[in-house]
Amino acid sequence: MHELESVAFSVLETVAADPIGYAVEWKRRTGRPVVGSFPMNFPSEIVHATGALPVIVQESRTPITEGRSLLPEFYCSYTRSVADQAAVGELDVFDAFVLADHCVQLLGAADVIRWAKPETPMHFAQFISSMDDPWSGAQVRDKVASLRVEVEEIVGVTVTPEALRVSIRAFNANRHLLRRFYDLRKTGRLRVSARQLQVLVKSSMVMEITEHTQLLESILSGLELPSEPPDSLVRLHLSGHFCAPPRPELLDLIEECGVLVVNDDLYHGTRYISTDVPEDGDPFDALATWYLDRNVSAPCGTRVQRNVDWDSYLVDSLDDSGADGVITLMAKFCEPLMLYYPELRKVLDARDIPVLLIETEHEGLAAESIRTRVETFVERIRRQKLKVPTLA
Amino acid sequence: MTLDLSLSTKQSLDLSPTRTRTLEVVDKSNRLKSTSLGGKMVAEYWDNIFTAKERGKHVVWYNGTALNPIFQAAGLEWCHGEAFSARLAAMHLEGPAQQAGEEYGYIAELCSYARTHLGCAVMTQKGITEKQSGIVGMVDQEELASKLPSPDFFVNAYAGCSTGQQWDAMTYRVFGKDFPIFNVSLPMIWGNKKDSGYLRGTEWEKTPLYVEEQLKKLIEFIEYQTKKPFDWDALSENMSYIKRASELRLEAMALCAAAPTPATYWDWVASIAPINFLPANQLLVDYFQAVKDEIQQRIIDNISAVQNERYRVYFDGIMNWNKLGFLTRKFAEFDVAVVAGRYTHDSFWQEPQLIDLDRPLLGMAQHYLICPINHGLKIMEELLLKRCDEYAIDGIAFHSTRTCRAMTNPQHILARTAERDRGIKSFSFEGDVADAAFYKDESLESGLVAMLESIDQQRAKV
Ligand code: SF4
Ligand code: SF4
Repeated sequence: MHELESVAFSVLETVAADPIGYAVEWKRRTGRPVVGSFPMNFPSEIVHATGALPVIVQESRTPITEGRSLLPEFYCSYTRSVADQAAVGELDVFDAFVLADHCVQLLGAADVIRWAKPETPMHFAQFISSMDDPWSGAQVRDKVASLRVEVEEIVGVTVTPEALRVSIRAFNANRHLLRRFYDLRKTGRLRVSARQLQVLVKSSMVMEITEHTQLLESILSGLELPSEPPDSLVRLHLSGHFCAPPRPELLDLIEECGVLVVNDDLYHGTRYISTDVPEDGDPFDALATWYLDRNVSAPCGTRVQRNVDWDSYLVDSLDDSGADGVITLMAKFCEPLMLYYPELRKVLDARDIPVLLIETEHEGLAAESIRTRVETFVERIRRQKLKVPTLA
Repeated sequence: MTLDLSLSTKQSLDLSPTRTRTLEVVDKSNRLKSTSLGGKMVAEYWDNIFTAKERGKHVVWYNGTALNPIFQAAGLEWCHGEAFSARLAAMHLEGPAQQAGEEYGYIAELCSYARTHLGCAVMTQKGITEKQSGIVGMVDQEELASKLPSPDFFVNAYAGCSTGQQWDAMTYRVFGKDFPIFNVSLPMIWGNKKDSGYLRGTEWEKTPLYVEEQLKKLIEFIEYQTKKPFDWDALSENMSYIKRASELRLEAMALCAAAPTPATYWDWVASIAPINFLPANQLLVDYFQAVKDEIQQRIIDNISAVQNERYRVYFDGIMNWNKLGFLTRKFAEFDVAVVAGRYTHDSFWQEPQLIDLDRPLLGMAQHYLICPINHGLKIMEELLLKRCDEYAIDGIAFHSTRTCRAMTNPQHILARTAERDRGIKSFSFEGDVADAAFYKDESLESGLVAMLESIDQQRAKV
């Protein structure tokens, strides 16, 4: 699984490992502001259109110290890490923060930032989370409008429709390229590890988007296709894990157990790149449309929508990728996932699709116990596949 | 709420330090008698709900804010999810529901209100399926948790907590999406602007109008479901009772600025159910009149709610329903009068002057938005300091509620603010809203004693 090893990839790897380092360097190089946003639905295009750098604030790998006395231990690792980063000054590179998502834990972390960095603007354009009400579209358009005013004020630049259209096209192009990697993996034409794909997506949340696109193009042009994986591997879908990426070591561990990850619905994966912003019509309205479309193309447990189900989306994804089972990765204490998980399990059980739940924590990885569970799970799938149907 | 107390209600308190006193394990709390009537009213209310289907009534399941005046005006029977979870926990009957939830797949770290209620949904749904399949009796109908009548539809209007909205979206799915759901979206009052504050600023002026419009749509939805025109006069009448009951509740609360206090936070906890979801009628008004009368009489008769009150404490956090009686006695044991709290004093129709009977929906929308978990930090700080001043608070008990992040969110920072701005000491103890397993007695006792000792030291310096 070495197809992505290249100079371009190592640049992305460095950015994914040290997002703040990249932001500091970009700011030094350009002299322009850096605006931090939060998962999972912020339209970075609107910040990009001002000339500032939009960065989705990432979970840091450093142990949580000061943050312990600001948010309790029973919060998800992402929010605890963000609170900690604010308290120890790791977020000082940001000139402002913007968010659109209402997750109760995320707002707790946002309040810690407001408290720790009172001079830094923190704008909350709360996008409605009930997606299919008659007023949902108007509400989101209204919030995009308020977002526009805020970012213009922060950066001191007017967001023209033309500039926003350029940014929309840039982000769409980037998502398009990222989806190509996922498609190549799914169809088996590219052997690429889950860790490597995570690097591609995570770095796109941080880097200047055209710079990122150029690097993706360089990687794609250097790929040697096709490279078929061995049949002996069990094909799995990784599900869940909102807001922060699962640890790369965990992804490696899973793949070391005779697993070929063929698809996912992770935020640092297909969820993030699932949907493009319409390029025709009013570009501000297009951002609102994108938000609403996203929950249709990749339904999420943090949104509520009557006519859309994550469970049936998951089953369709499995049909599409030919995955034999699902590993649900759940950041411990993530409430939306805790709430939705039984529905996912119910549908998978009804179709006899094996599912394994693994909880993750900021503090580390119980590697050996997880390895045993994954191996047992893989063995179960292998045996299930070998079962010869008996005559009734 | 303004507090207007004559000096005669202030008495000198014995403020000798905690360490030099021997703690007696006797119940030093003296709860109000009038609140027991509320218990009876609540029990009757639920008994009535359990027979709703037999009486041919439409049943709505809802969570979050107090939409009940609307439901009442529409002739519905209303089941409030949190209220039922709280009731089960307070009666120590939450086990079967939580077990049903666990078997369905809900993890113990999930909001225990939600998983208790979702467990009830699983049991109710199972009951429906059994009836449909003719296999009756698998669910023990004697278990309180399985008694909820199945819904005809759901309404969700949850302020401040994303879990609240997602929870109902899941209940809707537990019932196989067979019953419609209506969502009222309540934006957070983020309070980021220069003009922002409690009940003021542009954000405050604009947001309720958006919610009011949704409430109108909710009423259209209810009309469609019930096939009956909505009775707007009944809504105004309901709100008139609520307004009066709320005024009486606040007047009675204000009397507790007296030292020693004639009633405590625990009495206000006992009065949550009446103000939060019981039918709006004269009985409700009479209930709060009786509470106020008893408090007034206590002041005249010089009767305190805690024997030998020496410390006045504010309680921040959602109630620990499994431990209501226990906590009442526990704090009193240390001569602590828990006088006020965020959950009781900054919730439940707490600004009755906002209710305009000619335009009831606006006042309702405003109240839904001032739910005490729906403010950003700046407003939370403002409210906490205001209450501390009103009730001459010496210390704050933060109930670090394991599965309710909405209530826990600002606590660490609020503790720092109270200390910085008023020199008020605080401590934090671990517990939960409806799961007794998370309660840690040692964290309460050691934290409380440490806080009282710091207060003693402060007093000694003065
Ligand atoms: S959605 Fe889950 S992971 Fe994201 S902030 Fe909320 S609790 Fe944390
Ligand atoms: S976490 Fe707290 S506020 Fe949120 S739904 Fe549960 S009890 Fe309500």
